Amino acid sequence: MADQNVVEDLDAEGSRLKVAVLGSGLIGLDLLAKIERSKFLDCQLVVGRDENGRGLRKAASLGYQTSAGGATSLGADGQAFDIVFDATNAMSHVEHHQHLEALGALVIDLTPSRIGHMIAPTVNGADALVHRNVSLISCGGQTAIPILHALTRVYSPSYIEVVTTAASLSVGRASRLNLDEYISTTQAAVRTFTGASDVKVMLNISPAQPPITFRVAISMIGDDFDVDVIRKHVTTVAEEVRTFATGFDIAACSVIDGKAFVAVEVKASGDLIPHYSGNLDIINSAAIYVAEQYAAGRAPAERP
Amino acid sequence: MNEGKQESAAAARPVTIYDPTLRDGHHAVRHQLNRDQLRRYAAAADAARIPVVEVGHGNGLGASSLQVGRAALTDDEMLSTVREQLTHSKMGAFLLPGWGTIHDLKEAINHGVDVVRVGAHCTESDTMERYLDFLRISDIEAQGVLVMSHMTTPERLAEECRQMVGFGASAVGIMDSAGHYLPEDVSERIAAIAGAVDVPVIFHGHNNLGMSVANSIAAVRAGATIIDSCARGFGAGAGNTQLEVLVPVLERYGYSTDVDLYALLDAADLAERELMPKPPTIDSVSIVSGLAGVFSGFKARVFDIANELQVDPRDIFFELGRRQAVAGQEDLIIDVALDLSKRTAS
Repeated sequence: MADQNVVEDLDAEGSRLKVAVLGSGLIGLDLLAKIERSKFLDCQLVVGRDENGRGLRKAASLGYQTSAGGATSLGADGQAFDIVFDATNAMSHVEHHQHLEALGALVIDLTPSRIGHMIAPTVNGADALVHRNVSLISCGGQTAIPILHALTRVYSPSYIEVVTTAASLSVGRASRLNLDEYISTTQAAVRTFTGASDVKVMLNISPAQPPITFRVAISMIGDDFDVDVIRKHVTTVAEEVRTFATGFDIAACSVIDGKAFVAVEVKASGDLIPHYSGNLDIINSAAIYVAEQYAAGRAPAERP
Repeated sequence: MNEGKQESAAAARPVTIYDPTLRDGHHAVRHQLNRDQLRRYAAAADAARIPVVEVGHGNGLGASSLQVGRAALTDDEMLSTVREQLTHSKMGAFLLPGWGTIHDLKEAINHGVDVVRVGAHCTESDTMERYLDFLRISDIEAQGVLVMSHMTTPERLAEECRQMVGFGASAVGIMDSAGHYLPEDVSERIAAIAGAVDVPVIFHGHNNLGMSVANSIAAVRAGATIIDSCARGFGAGAGNTQLEVLVPVLERYGYSTDVDLYALLDAADLAERELMPKPPTIDSVSIVSGLAGVFSGFKARVFDIANELQVDPRDIFFELGRRQAVAGQEDLIIDVALDLSKRTAS
């Protein structure tokens, strides 16, 4: 068994896709740890803007090649990538997405810019094979959409509400400057994936110490909700999501006063980030899932 | 002796009354005030020359939702109704980033808002940067307030306030959202903030432990110059600092407010008659909420769910306090109540 694993690893080594990570904040650094574990991905460059910033120095200390030239420096020296993860911020993605797309790599956008094709792995993960820029929506979107997609195949709610609460220490600078984009992009995604038109998304950042686990509360107004049917569906969804994000759990499920309510909590699965940072874990796990699907789906001949 | 001197030196200092009756009061009536109620109170407050009259959903612009309660009126309806009544008073609005957006600020500006308070939980002022910056560029008076301020240290509050001033806030301060403070707590925090910034300092009290007027006086003596208070204390939980009590008490301490006493008392009488089924009282659950340090605005929702699931609302509040629930986390109430009801059943 051990020998076989070695053979597989060596085999994977040779064909691993070359990836670059843009951004060295909380999301970028956790992404590096997850890429490190992947048999299909090899991080060849971490790009930031500040050579002396904590993030890039951390990446360099972990042995990664780094560049402080920003997104537009990518590809300047002829270095080619199969996948570029964008973990900067929504405004930056707007500015540099065309540059990234022109590089020929698959662009996986972790910012709430709403430019790329929106993907939630368990719902439409295979779409990464046919789009050049895919959007991972937001942490709240990645948590709520699998649940809402399943429930809106059974029910037609007239109104959907999603309230996310993340621990203060797990919300980095870029996310704090992107709250409006978080709201509008998550709302747009919920509308797209559910068909509901009346959708509201809100976000809390909790100062509690010790920090609280990342949580997404989903409420729906509609007819004939049955708590047992809802529980059955969300339990199945949770199992599916746990295949790539192990800390995904249903915290509460109820129907009170004709309104359906489902609360999800996501714990981070270790790596460099504390367990309460499920917001980072869920979107980064989705990013890895999409990247690996892309790697697996590419014909061997196309591989470098 | 020395204290007497300080008191007379302070006597020259004006205190600005900021009146969130039509915003925080919304928590007490599930955000159901109608146009006529807004119109009448705004006119009465304007006649009393109250400097700022704030209006909106209890949780601010864009907050009407299942999570915290749906308002009877839209933000636009509330703002336009109150605007028409104000000639002397400025119109204020409240915005919590993550709930309201720049789009909501633009709408409020279109409706003639004069002052916008941007709020965030006690350690999260960096979420305000974009909003304070936008207001500064739009030439709208912008203030920054820290909600649930009892959850961190005086030093951290001072640091956050300094940061808000850096973002462009023209006044900064704290809310005692859970009604948890004693006067000494307030003195220490306001003194730390006043020592860290050179803009006016704000205090917003709640009356869960019967301390809101005393806490407001402690705030003023420690350097605060903008004090929030509501007619009959109309506000979340046990209510806010009672406006028509605070003003004459401040005057007796030698501070000036420029509010007309008789017109103020008339406005308070009108508020009791027109806005509320009964004035807020410090009921048993509000005492527990204040002790537990839980957001006062949870009260109506806690009662609903406690009733539905047959659990003691006091147990819910203490458990929410243990979990450090903050304003906006109303979704935790169901979890806590379900857990408690299971525990009771087993």
